[in-house]
Amino acid sequence: MVESLDLFPLFLSLKVATAATVLAALIGIPIAYYLSRSHGKVADFIDALTTLPVILPPTVLGYYLLVLLGRKSPIGKFLEETFGITIVFTPVGAAIAAFVVAVPFLIKSSRAAFASIDPNLIRAAKVLGRSDINIFFVVILPLSWRGVASGIMLVFARALGDFGATLMVAGNIPNETLTMPVAIYDALLAGNHRLANVLVIIMTSVSVLLLYVMRRIEKRMVRGDGAHAARKH
Amino acid sequence: MLHVNIKKTFPHFLLDVSFTAEKGITAILGPSGSGKSLTLQCLAGLETPDEGIITLNDRPFFDAGQRVNIKPRERKIGYMFQNYALFPHLTVKQNIAFGLKGKPKAEVEEKVEKMLKNMELERYGDRYPAELSGGQQQRVALARALIIEPDVLLLDEPLSAVDPSMKETLEQQLLTFIDKHFSGVVLLVTHNLEEADRLCDRWIIYHNGSVIQLGAKEEILARPVNVTVARMLGYKNIFPVANIRPVDQGVIAVVGDSELFMKATSPSSFDFVAIHYDHLMFVENECVNTFDYDIVQTKTRMNVVEAILETKHFQLQVKVPRKEWSSFGQTKKKIHLPPEHLFFLEK
Repeated sequence: MVESLDLFPLFLSLKVATAATVLAALIGIPIAYYLSRSHGKVADFIDALTTLPVILPPTVLGYYLLVLLGRKSPIGKFLEETFGITIVFTPVGAAIAAFVVAVPFLIKSSRAAFASIDPNLIRAAKVLGRSDINIFFVVILPLSWRGVASGIMLVFARALGDFGATLMVAGNIPNETLTMPVAIYDALLAGNHRLANVLVIIMTSVSVLLLYVMRRIEKRMVRGDGAHAARKH
Repeated sequence: MLHVNIKKTFPHFLLDVSFTAEKGITAILGPSGSGKSLTLQCLAGLETPDEGIITLNDRPFFDAGQRVNIKPRERKIGYMFQNYALFPHLTVKQNIAFGLKGKPKAEVEEKVEKMLKNMELERYGDRYPAELSGGQQQRVALARALIIEPDVLLLDEPLSAVDPSMKETLEQQLLTFIDKHFSGVVLLVTHNLEEADRLCDRWIIYHNGSVIQLGAKEEILARPVNVTVARMLGYKNIFPVANIRPVDQGVIAVVGDSELFMKATSPSSFDFVAIHYDHLMFVENECVNTFDYDIVQTKTRMNVVEAILETKHFQLQVKVPRKEWSSFGQTKKKIHLPPEHLFFLEK
């Protein structure tokens, strides 16, 4: 019976993934921009650091986050005492875990998009009197938004599907921190195949849809460079 | 008047240049990687020199000693980039108006309309750069650079992206529009000798980050200062000099086991003696600097024959119009190096 299905995990997952995506956009895009323009040792280090989550097992990432943000850690203590925010075993924790796991994808794809812009365009804008921030929004972002958009979708998809790091940091408290991937695991363990099946189908549909949209965007990216190219014919 | 005297050090490159440029078009000519574009970027404030000064009509742009470094936007420099660097996502109008941000809307519109008219782009204001021909793109780039009413115009390889069949037309167009609408200092960066020859009367020759010769085109062409410049200008007949000996009305240069008489004064230092192929003469009679020759190799080009001649002492390269080549092959068997066209070169 459908009524007995608990869809809380679906909505929590969507919320967590959205929060993680917003966080990734705010933090990841500036980092990507910095990396696209700098080639020094500091940049290499930041590059390595931001690629690490792709390589490390999610449990290791989750462990680091626990150590870094736990209630006894300086950061965790500060957040709890100053803002009343607890991270471990809360949806906030889930969002942060998903953010860390997913942000490398945004950095990578935005960085490639930023780096592919002709540096003379940026120089021209400077000579014509524009500030760096203005240049970012008027020249760089409009010319690379497809790469950035595809990165944002990848982040959302990856955040939606995170299992290991989320479980480590947020746990699997029903109606509180139980996200879709963890709920599927729990349902399977509990022998609730019907719930598992429904959740799996929902997850798969969302992922397929995201991949399809991304593919469309990338295809148009190859064909032309946005709105002006479409008008060419 | 633009005065430049700057130094900038990189791990594997040193830019160390000094020159002045007056009103009119001056070429910065040199092979790629010799620091030409970097110089323009320093002028525009996109790169900061380590040392030196840049002044325009006594207005300092940069002065390392006085810690003056005017921001790019305050230098009012018209910069036409290689491949034009038009913003592909903006229309022609938006591209041209790009440098007028912050000005009242009515003023911007008026200026843009006037510029579109000046550059004969009235019908293309709402198009995107990708929809324009190469010539139209060039005019948009020029319009965008000129709309801020600059005091200097910098052109970085303005014709390198142009299709060869269109090149002379666009060169002419560029010249015409600049002549009509700009009256300040123009610096044109190019690695192409013919382009510099057609567009500019004054040249600054770059090599490995330094200026090796500058001045009027004719002077440089007639008397390159060293072998590098001479080779860049297409000189092929360059001979090492073993010794010199002053004589009445000139100098004798010892080249291999022969002697060349030159109408020149004894130089303080000498490494080579050179002559342009235009000045070599085929003659029948024996006189000074005249040698018998054999033809070693000939290449027939569209309009000229390039030949390598061998005398007893050295090889010479000549270029002769095709028509003439066939006629004197039979009669004239001697080659003459006119003393007034031989000159000394440093290494």
